[in-house]
Amino acid sequence: MSSIAHDHAPGYGHDDHADHSHHPTGITRWLTTTNHKDIGTMYLWFSFTMFLVGGTMAMVIRAELFQPGLQVVNPEFFNSMTTLHGLIMVFGAIMPAAVGFANWQIPMMIGAPDMAFARMNNWSFWLLPPAAILLMTSLFVPGGAAAAGWTLYPPLTIQAGMGMDLTIFAIHILGASSIMGSINIITTILNLRAPGMTLMKMPLFCWTWLITAYLLIAVMPVLAGAVTMLLTDRHFGTSFFNAAGGGDPVLFQHVFWFFGHPEVYIIILPAFGIVSQIIPTFARKPLFGYASMVYATAGIAILSFIVWAHHMFTTGLPTAGLLFYMYATMLIAVPTGVKVFNWLATMWRGSMTFETPMLFSIGFLFLFTLGGFTGLVLAIMPVDVQMQDTYYVVAHFHYVMVAGSLFAFFGGAYYWIPKWSGTMYNETLGKVHFWSSMISFNVTFFPMHFLGLAGMPRRIPDYAQQFADWNMIASIGAFWFGASQLLFLYSMVQCARGVGPKAPAKPWEGADTLEWTVPSPAPYHTFETPPMVK
Amino acid sequence: MRDTPPAMSEPAARIRSANRKTALVLLSIAVVFFVGIIATRFMGEGAAGISVMGTVVLLFLIVAIGRNLRSKR
Repeated sequence: MSSIAHDHAPGYGHDDHADHSHHPTGITRWLTTTNHKDIGTMYLWFSFTMFLVGGTMAMVIRAELFQPGLQVVNPEFFNSMTTLHGLIMVFGAIMPAAVGFANWQIPMMIGAPDMAFARMNNWSFWLLPPAAILLMTSLFVPGGAAAAGWTLYPPLTIQAGMGMDLTIFAIHILGASSIMGSINIITTILNLRAPGMTLMKMPLFCWTWLITAYLLIAVMPVLAGAVTMLLTDRHFGTSFFNAAGGGDPVLFQHVFWFFGHPEVYIIILPAFGIVSQIIPTFARKPLFGYASMVYATAGIAILSFIVWAHHMFTTGLPTAGLLFYMYATMLIAVPTGVKVFNWLATMWRGSMTFETPMLFSIGFLFLFTLGGFTGLVLAIMPVDVQMQDTYYVVAHFHYVMVAGSLFAFFGGAYYWIPKWSGTMYNETLGKVHFWSSMISFNVTFFPMHFLGLAGMPRRIPDYAQQFADWNMIASIGAFWFGASQLLFLYSMVQCARGVGPKAPAKPWEGADTLEWTVPSPAPYHTFETPPMVK
Repeated sequence: MRDTPPAMSEPAARIRSANRKTALVLLSIAVVFFVGIIATRFMGEGAAGISVMGTVVLLFLIVAIGRNLRSKR
């Protein structure tokens, strides 16, 4: 990574931040703030709140599936739970968490005073709570919440009640927020880097977010277009997806997955970035193959646009299409393999220590690779035809989303919390959180591979007797995993309250990026005059 | 009555103008994708829709790259 000189260059922008070290306090501070650190904090707390809400829904799902038969909820409500759990976790928890990390870290990592559009940044965040309220309110309207799965396939979504309209509106708002956030991130990275901070000197977290933001700008409007067409089909007499009027329901799947597959990488690329910061720090070695990591990230992003129909192998695609999507999907394993190899090579012969952030990163590496392997299995078209919509798919994407993104975000939170709060977290508690999450995650999701291979379909509240044992084990694991996250909440609240040892400016010996050159906690305004990067 | 805001320094004004240009380009990409995905389906016939979408993207690239080339000269 780049070396840093502490003399500051004069004549840098953002005059409007120059002299106000005083800022509003109380609720006004949070409502009106344009400070990237405040907004990052709000994103992170919002995402964790939504994680708990989505997690509670997962607990309802697992409680119902604890035994065969219907015990806890009726089938309609169960379907609403699976739908809202997916939507809330993807759009309410994981994506805002990634944006929270971006808000806190990108300006500090590139030596910028703030995000390029500070007011728009505030607006991007404050669009999220209304969208979340709309999603939650949909549970209480006549007909209940959307119950067609997070993929919102017609014809179910054309026939559903008012809850579907609220969901569509929520998705529009979330999409607008994401697009504004992405514009802000790209503009900040391209225009506000410190002198000497060339693109190829940027920390990898900034690179992965730059590419993620481009992906978001390309695909969020497509999702917005798809749900807009759904809305006009429902209320304005069009027939985009309504077969009764000559429309094509399968077309929705094409449009949705043109968004949906890059969305997987939108979720995972920032996690790659976080892990790429943590592993070199605790291996006390520079990241192996920095340039190849950048190119691999770009390669993954480009390939993500041409593989969407692997989600649709059973819809009757032409054979040439099936073969193309199968091979293109397999191709993604190459840049992903480059990344995994480079992380391992970074650790190789490093002076490694195993603090909580490193444990979560290694956990990420192990479990994400497992999720990648099952993805490769599902990419094989004849196999996918057998596994489509079974619990094998549920296991696969939870290994990617939870053990991938979530573990990396936990690692990132433990890694940067000393900088954010000025207080060290409780290491013992962090390690207990890791091991408890690691074991309970596998107890929950590993048996789902067996259930899927045995033919258990997803999104059902009841199942045949032969699936009972593994379902019971998965449910026990899920309750355990849910309870483990309270340890994380406790740790973070303690740090936010300043309970614990004071953090030095650079608590990690091997850390070498710009944010570690400022005191802990990071001052309200940093790099008002940019550092010189050599 | 509000005070007039202090005049912005030249580098700050330049950065601000660059930020706005970047944001407008990115926003226009988002708008093209949003309108395009609906327009292609609205036209009904798949090939025609894709042709229109392709032409729009191509024109967009020509204009964007062309402007850039002109500014380099």
